[in-house]
Amino acid sequence: MSGQLRALLRLFAVQGAWNYERMLGVGMGYASEPLLEDLKRADPQRHSEAVVRSAEFFNCNPNLAGLALGAEVRAEYDGAPGAQVARLRIALCSPLGALGDQLFWAGLVPALVGLALAGVALGAGLWAILGFLLGYNAVRLYTAQWALRTGLAAGIEIGAAISRSWIPKAAAAIGPAAGFGVGFAVPLVATWFLAPFPARAALGALGLTALGLGAGYVGGARYGALRYALAAVLMTLLVRLVLR
Amino acid sequence: MIPPEPATLVALLAWGTLVGLDLVSVAQTMIARPLVAGGVAGLLLGDVGAGLRVGALIELFALDVLPVGAARYPDYGPPTVAATALAAGGPWELTLGLAGTIALIGAVLGGWSLQLLRRSNAAAIQDATAALAAGESSAIRRLQYAGIGRDALRSTLLTAVVIAGAAGAALLPLDRATAAALTVVVVGIGLAAALGGAVRSAGRGRRRRWLIAGLAVGTVTAMVVWR
Repeated sequence: MSGQLRALLRLFAVQGAWNYERMLGVGMGYASEPLLEDLKRADPQRHSEAVVRSAEFFNCNPNLAGLALGAEVRAEYDGAPGAQVARLRIALCSPLGALGDQLFWAGLVPALVGLALAGVALGAGLWAILGFLLGYNAVRLYTAQWALRTGLAAGIEIGAAISRSWIPKAAAAIGPAAGFGVGFAVPLVATWFLAPFPARAALGALGLTALGLGAGYVGGARYGALRYALAAVLMTLLVRLVLR
Repeated sequence: MIPPEPATLVALLAWGTLVGLDLVSVAQTMIARPLVAGGVAGLLLGDVGAGLRVGALIELFALDVLPVGAARYPDYGPPTVAATALAAGGPWELTLGLAGTIALIGAVLGGWSLQLLRRSNAAAIQDATAALAAGESSAIRRLQYAGIGRDALRSTLLTAVVIAGAAGAALLPLDRATAAALTVVVVGIGLAAALGGAVRSAGRGRRRRWLIAGLAVGTVTAMVVWR
């Protein structure tokens, strides 16, 4: 197995030792090991320094970590000064975090989850889930190999390579799809769940939805849905106990 | 709740472990999404419908979460697997509310366990500072494998604890009206969670217009399908 393929596989566990001190740092060190093997033979001293740098603090969206990993390894082989490699690493944290989160966590995932929820509500069953997994992982696998390849090709010029690439455009374009996907799913799931109940109960549920939206709007994260749900369940049990 | 056979219990624990690992540590293939975790758990229990209902319900809450950077968030996956065992085999209108509640409590526990895991990983790194500073690749590998091992243990324990909680909850003397009321309440708030998350993410631009368009198309589709 080539070093690049081993590094790609290891990138799928880049958050394996995630912590508040180095965040993805150790995972990046782990993923870079197969790529740095040739450097060990050519320049053991440089290799040792590169291994130390590879496991230092780093954070970004895990799906785009290959861009930073490839760029950093290429810079090590090109003999860039250690301080410059370290600066490159830190400089990439914010843009790769913001782009990746926008593209994946706030874009592709809600868009596809919304479609899968709608599919389940419309009776597609496990096929909807299979479609979601295949769709997401196809994009994700393509992105991971593209990111590592692009990083290795660009090295210290990675910033320009990212801004020329499809990533910023895709991150901007996926937002509306996510909005549509979730918006499409909510009425279908609501009807799927509430249709068998009497109209009074269904209206009560929608009243709670409106109340929850209002509480979230006014109170923000303090009145998160999870707390609100657990409090409402407790209230329901108390009221039912009194009525009994 | 039908008490699962020992083999099914082992399968649920194994699935809960994979789901827990998938959230952060390994792969992130999205099997940790409640819809997937619940659907497969339903398949293992022989009641796919129950798994899909529990998964869809908890997915509404999970849509409110943006797992970015160092954010703290609940872990919905393994509790969804465990709560499906509570809903399986019964009429969903009466089991979904309690199963959903157990999954939500489990998700809080799961979020707390993630903090413990992260602190534990940080402590291990502190202990290995000298080896890391010396550029020892073997130290990096050890830290990585130990971190994944700790997360696997966390996920297994979380699934087991929530299954035990579900077994205890199954003994609660709930009458039909109360059980149905719980379902209605949790569904109502789940819808608020999903919509609230979508509205917050949408901001004021193009995405909000597409959200409104999606709501309109979804409403019309629901009216046609459930006419």
